[in-house]
Amino acid sequence: MTQPQHHLDDATLASYASGALGLPLGVAVATHMRLCAVCRERMRQADAIGGELMRQQEPAPLSLSAREAMLSRLDSEPVDVTEQPVAQGSEERPSGPRTPVDQLPPELHPYFGDSYRALRWRMLVPGVHRVRSRIPAGKGDLFLLRIASGKKMPVHSHAGSELTVVLKGAYRDVLGRFGPGDVADLDSEVEHQPVTEPGEACICLAALDAPLRFPGRLARMLQPLFGI
Amino acid sequence: METTGTRAGDRMNVQVAMLVPETVTPIKLSRTPRNVSTRADQAASDARYWNTQMVAVAVDRDREAFMRIYDHFAPRVQRYLLGLGVAPAQAEELVQEAMIRLWRKAAQFDPARARVSTWLFRIARNLYIDSVRREPNWRPVEDALDVLPEETAPMRGTLAESYVEQSNLRRAIDALPALQARLVRMSYFEARSHSEIAADMDMPLGTVKSSLRRAFGKLRASLEAST
Repeated sequence: MTQPQHHLDDATLASYASGALGLPLGVAVATHMRLCAVCRERMRQADAIGGELMRQQEPAPLSLSAREAMLSRLDSEPVDVTEQPVAQGSEERPSGPRTPVDQLPPELHPYFGDSYRALRWRMLVPGVHRVRSRIPAGKGDLFLLRIASGKKMPVHSHAGSELTVVLKGAYRDVLGRFGPGDVADLDSEVEHQPVTEPGEACICLAALDAPLRFPGRLARMLQPLFGI
Repeated sequence: METTGTRAGDRMNVQVAMLVPETVTPIKLSRTPRNVSTRADQAASDARYWNTQMVAVAVDRDREAFMRIYDHFAPRVQRYLLGLGVAPAQAEELVQEAMIRLWRKAAQFDPARARVSTWLFRIARNLYIDSVRREPNWRPVEDALDVLPEETAPMRGTLAESYVEQSNLRRAIDALPALQARLVRMSYFEARSHSEIAADMDMPLGTVKSSLRRAFGKLRASLEAST
């Protein structure tokens, strides 16, 4: 797979590193990072910044018994020897009975299962199907969209933050072409109209922390179809 | 067990480092330019010191080296968790858990790729999300990402350069304008969304985001420049 061309915004990276990102957006960030070595490196830098800031803080005293408890735990703790750091340049290959083509990224397994073929798509409008995830109510929304090739989506912007990660196929909008691994990291200033490319249907992961906002009449009519 | 040349070299450094009295930067120093560069040099030697302690834990299961790390970092992880609003007793449990994870996973520590502070920050943040926010799917995701390689810039990769990174980072944090520094700290230490920060500071969301982007860009750039 070629390297993704569209990356996470610095503001999103900072939110993820600080633990402030809600569940759906966090899952989308993790999904993109698995596919993007560039953003993994940027996240390492974000964590290094957090580590240094944490180190510069005034220490908060721990109870005296804590140190003793720590020392006595060292004797009884097993040591992890199974996992070794993966050598530079080698990519993890999913293995198992299914072909990798059918495997969803591991980050999505708790929410959608592990197989594309087993997904239960529901039609929103002809050519657009969706699978919603079971995430706790009030935590935003996380779903997969499958958009037929050559399909034009309504113009819309977003009231909160949205992350879209392309898993299969591709689409284009004002920001360029988005193929597998690419992330669209948009906030409310951006109004866009994605058009899927010919060929394979486009499957994307969409994560929202607030509802979509469609300006047009047709789009408003479509909004209930998105269920949010 | 000495698997690589790098580790063997570091092990020798461990012995040297142990003879040197512990050098830990005081947190608040006056900000004259001369002090800034002293702090920066100090940062490199701190990072090297803690990494050698960590390698001693990894290679020899050195309990004393581990407890040196504990004594320095555990109260800072505690401060971080208290700042996130975790109750003191639970924070202390999470600190113990974070430190034990460091002990268990020491063999995976690669001094050229990470620093003790980065590791502990990551572990503590993930424990917070996992147990306080009750999002138990988070940790497996993070563990999986941990073992994937990062894009390494051509200039990055040696141990010496990784220590220079640390000095540059500290210098860049010192040089942030007051507002940017405040926003960065609020973002990291209060785990609050940008809209919450905007409301709290009575600033437009766009301004909060663009200030954070600028600050973050400068700090990241300091980690990329290795000269």
